[in-house]
Amino acid sequence: MMLLPCPWCGPRNAGEFKYAGEGGARPDPATTTPEEWRRYLYFHANTRGWVTESWYHGAGCRRWLVVERHTLTHEVREVRDAVQVAREGAR
Amino acid sequence: MSILPTTRRRGADDATDRRLPPREGEVIDRRRTVGFTWNGTRYTGHPGDTIVSALAAAGERVFSRSYKYHRPRGLLTASYLDPGTMVQVGDEPNVRGAHRLLTPGLEVSSQNTWPSLRFDVKAVNGLAERFLATGFYYKTFIKPERLWPAYEKVLRTFVHAGEVPPDTDRGYYDKRHAHPDVVVAGGGPAGMAAAVAAARAGASVMLVEEEHQLGGHLRWGGPGDRAALRDLRAQVAAQPGIEVLTDSVVAARYDDNWIPIVQRSLPGVDERLIKARAGALVVAPGLIERPYVFAGNDLPGVVLSTAVRRLINLWAVQPGQRAVVLTANPEGDAAIADLEDAGVEVAAVVDARRGETITAAHGRQGVRAVELGDGSRVEADLLVTAVGWTAPTSLLNQSGDNPVYDPRTARFRPDPARMPEDVLAAGGIVGEGDVAQVVEHADAVGREAARRALRTAGTAVTVPDLAVADHPELFTNGTGGFVDLSEDVSAKDIITAAAEGYDSVELVKRYTTATMGPGQGKLETVNTVAVLAEATGSTIAETGTTTWRPMYAPVTLGALAGRPREPVRYSPMQPWHERHGAVPLVAGQWIRPDHYGDPAGEVTAVRTAVGLIDVTPIGKLDLRGPDVPELLELLYVNKWQKLGVGRVRYGVMCAEDGVVLDDGVTGRLGEQHYLMSTTSSGAAAVWEWAERWLQTARPQWQVHVTPVTTAYASINVAGPRSRELLGRLTDLDLGSESFGYMSVRTGTVAGVADCVLWRIGFTGELSFEVHVPAAYGLHVWEQLMAAGEDLGVRPFGVEAQRVLRLEKGHAIVGQDTDGLTQGFSAGVDELIKLDKPDFVGKPELVWQHGRDTHPRLVGLRTLDGTIVPPEASQILDRAGGIAGRVTSSRMSPTLGRSIGLAQLDRELAAVGTRVTVRLPDGRDVVAEVTDRVHVDPEGERQRV
Amino acid sequence: MSDTAAPLARSPIAPSPATVLDGWEVSARAATGASTLSDETPLAKVLVRAPFDGAGREALGVGFGRTLRTDLGSGAVLLVGSAPGEWLALGAPGTAPALRTALEERLAGTGELTSVLDLTHGRALVRLQGPAATAVLAGVCAIDLADTVTPDGTALRTSVAAVVTDVVRDDVAGVRSYLLHCERSSGQYLWDALLDAGSRSAVEVTGFRGLGSGGTAR
Repeated sequence: MMLLPCPWCGPRNAGEFKYAGEGGARPDPATTTPEEWRRYLYFHANTRGWVTESWYHGAGCRRWLVVERHTLTHEVREVRDAVQVAREGAR
Repeated sequence: MSILPTTRRRGADDATDRRLPPREGEVIDRRRTVGFTWNGTRYTGHPGDTIVSALAAAGERVFSRSYKYHRPRGLLTASYLDPGTMVQVGDEPNVRGAHRLLTPGLEVSSQNTWPSLRFDVKAVNGLAERFLATGFYYKTFIKPERLWPAYEKVLRTFVHAGEVPPDTDRGYYDKRHAHPDVVVAGGGPAGMAAAVAAARAGASVMLVEEEHQLGGHLRWGGPGDRAALRDLRAQVAAQPGIEVLTDSVVAARYDDNWIPIVQRSLPGVDERLIKARAGALVVAPGLIERPYVFAGNDLPGVVLSTAVRRLINLWAVQPGQRAVVLTANPEGDAAIADLEDAGVEVAAVVDARRGETITAAHGRQGVRAVELGDGSRVEADLLVTAVGWTAPTSLLNQSGDNPVYDPRTARFRPDPARMPEDVLAAGGIVGEGDVAQVVEHADAVGREAARRALRTAGTAVTVPDLAVADHPELFTNGTGGFVDLSEDVSAKDIITAAAEGYDSVELVKRYTTATMGPGQGKLETVNTVAVLAEATGSTIAETGTTTWRPMYAPVTLGALAGRPREPVRYSPMQPWHERHGAVPLVAGQWIRPDHYGDPAGEVTAVRTAVGLIDVTPIGKLDLRGPDVPELLELLYVNKWQKLGVGRVRYGVMCAEDGVVLDDGVTGRLGEQHYLMSTTSSGAAAVWEWAERWLQTARPQWQVHVTPVTTAYASINVAGPRSRELLGRLTDLDLGSESFGYMSVRTGTVAGVADCVLWRIGFTGELSFEVHVPAAYGLHVWEQLMAAGEDLGVRPFGVEAQRVLRLEKGHAIVGQDTDGLTQGFSAGVDELIKLDKPDFVGKPELVWQHGRDTHPRLVGLRTLDGTIVPPEASQILDRAGGIAGRVTSSRMSPTLGRSIGLAQLDRELAAVGTRVTVRLPDGRDVVAEVTDRVHVDPEGERQRV
Repeated sequence: MSDTAAPLARSPIAPSPATVLDGWEVSARAATGASTLSDETPLAKVLVRAPFDGAGREALGVGFGRTLRTDLGSGAVLLVGSAPGEWLALGAPGTAPALRTALEERLAGTGELTSVLDLTHGRALVRLQGPAATAVLAGVCAIDLADTVTPDGTALRTSVAAVVTDVVRDDVAGVRSYLLHCERSSGQYLWDALLDAGSRSAVEVTGFRGLGSGGTAR
């Protein structure tokens, strides 16, 4: 089992986390089209390499995390609290 | 020196005492004897003996019958890997007889032999050989399918395995988490030296050895080896930072050095699985001697040179009387010396380094003669082979390395450059050298492992090169024989498989099952590759090896399962339920009363008097903050801005794909304080869902979500007399004026303060849901039952509640909806407010509504009210296709007939439409679409 | 409204034999060995939510991952930084209302959104103490319990026997001791799992210990 370095709790077994996959920006619900919305819902790049993913530390700090992980090596180069990422994005 | 063995009679068998006089380095304690039985006959051995060494000392040579052909098999390696020495010990099957130590009173028997080990019918009549062709799994039994049970019966009689009696004690299989800085896999000279070096550098070390003592090959070596062993053992003992685990195995290496270690020989514990998270792993398993493939190579008496040396030097057992030795390396030469020292006549030495070879071994129950390459025939009862080594690279494979075949050393070797930072290798797997060189190399590896694990600053330790000895390539002489003694796969089978087109090693492995037996390929893989390479005219390097996946060694299911650990949740009223005959229902982790013996009577009690149900598992979330209404507006499909303090409202949540996620009521307790309820199964998911939106999308909102599901014991008091009952235990005004339908109040019930009561109606009756601070739940429940005795109060369970809500037409998320059911198919059309600017899943619901092609949730009644169609029965359209399914179906005690809910295509969904329901037994019955609400459609009963 | 019996508070962990202490049914057992498991559910448990790094954290005096023994005016309190922006205050049985008030007063005027909830009834709380505590916990918990990693005063949340559990290292007079709390409904299961894991280490059940120092009543 891989370790995921939680920014709050330190390295923990991946089994403590829920994997929520690659996140995409939510289209404006007022103007979106079915094509655009379903791309948001179902289409992921499934990259062989670095991806940005959401994980939820359900058995720990209960924080949603934004994880940059290499899908081939499982190397994790950055994990940040989702609130921090969302606030930066809103700026 | 010559030893003249004495002959003794034991039972019906002629057996000979093969125990040698005391030897330096032997591991047996001759002052004591241990009694045991073998196939019912009494034997003795000494503490330190394995089952097989004790039997071999008594002159036994045959220990099992082979897997497919039921050929007699003797010992080959005299170690854990020995393929022919799996035995049954008491109620424990598949015990490694050449590894398991004798303990007093063991009842040992050979596995799956009939009528006896010596005379096996299946071998005599040759049935097996004709029956079990190459790839028999794929060829013989494909068709006809209906005969499979018969095939299975036949196959079972051939399977080489022990038995587990049904009354076997489940045993105590332990688990332990550990966080050593360094795990060293292998306790030979390299492993010991690496462990000592790492510990001296400040690392905590787990030193794991498969055998019962540390030392590896030094244990069966000469005086120099024994001196080195004493020194290394003393160094290990002097390091308190080293935890020594013998009779234990590193079973695998997973990501980030997550390392399972199976520990055996523990007092009071059958086995323990250690889940180690190590800073660094040092792989030092040594080398495994490889068998030679030739005609007759599976006869008892054909043994490896290490087996001979182990038998003589560890257990003082004379392995035979007259030997032929095929040697290609110093280990074989040392075996010759050991044999002579043990009084075995060495009739011929065949030195492969001089180009000499053997052709075949002959005999029936064991070796009688050996045919040499020059055509001569030598009488012998022992044929010793020393033809080369296999590097057990499994743990390195699992770390990312792909070993490459090196023809110079005739083995696959690891590539240290390809290994991750936290995995290192030492000892024979890297190179040979003498003991001093191996120790020097391992010392450096151990220091470097500690440096990496402890993240010590500074430069890497310089690890010296370890010499690698050239070795002739010797795998098979082309005369036949077995490549896999565990699975009974012959060289001919491999050649046949290649001829049939299975010409890659991964295919051959699966087709022939070679390497898939208990040894997991450690003795077999390289020979399989070599025979295949020859058959396909390619080189071993081109052919490559199979992938060495976890586990390194077979692991018992008990070790993996560990202690029984399936979390369960109980309500505070569980002791009462148990005392009152509740039939339990497992709902997720919760144990709930399904009913108390009479669900129909429980329904009637609620409709006519009053009932209590324990609804503690209903999810409860405490919501606080100024932005709670914003959150509710986002998560629910309906509107929340105008919910006043003291009011509750029903809501439905959908996911972003518009599929119904959960439902429940939420009440407003104060200006900025709400209590949300969810379905029992959705409690955790809704909390996580709310946090996801708050943390990832709306970080500016000021809301605290706190789960309080089990802070409250929840009791629904339902029925026309519920107000009267509850009124006896609270000063709250329960009248419809002051406490109307869909309202919430807080107060004292049965002397317990801070209870939350909401007036809602899942059952369709007047009802109050009382949320009691959990420690007082049992108290309040008992008070309600006592106070309501004269009112006819009864407890009701989940089954009665299902019937009550079905009578009322309330859908259950996950039962009347599934993973594809969008909002407008859930019967909540009037709730979905498409005029809200946004909510989760809104675009999909807008489109669903616009298309208007979706299935509907409808009421359904069979014309014959005595028929209750099972849930999931299909509903047919006029052309006989599937138009829907019955989602809920019960006999209604209130109406005296069956009622249901169904998901149904729009075209058939109008009330009054007649549809065909196909029952699972194939019968068709006619049903009519109805309103979803079967009882009290006006809702008068719940509003009183 | 009719007269009713005085309410008796019950832990999710069935005591045997039982006695009553401060209105709570508790175990009457007294262990003789050094390694013990005790049900501490009667302790007052008050949850605080506030920004993890703001004025509230300053006012409380302890951050995520650590504990603080203090007195906020309601008696001895163990303040646990149980998660980012989340604290659990433990006090003597029956002190929850006073503790809640004290915390609310302490946090008033921070200008931050703060929530103070009485979770006394929402959690099961047990104490695993003695020389065998580490080995028992290591049987069901993947966290490194070494002093260098999780010293006395450490608070963390993780999976214990597959139940999400707050683990607090709270040594008593130099003796290794852990407070473990989980959702109340899982309490009996967690208790049974710990006893099972400790069945080879001679862990004994003992009665309520309270927040005071080792073994003596509060």
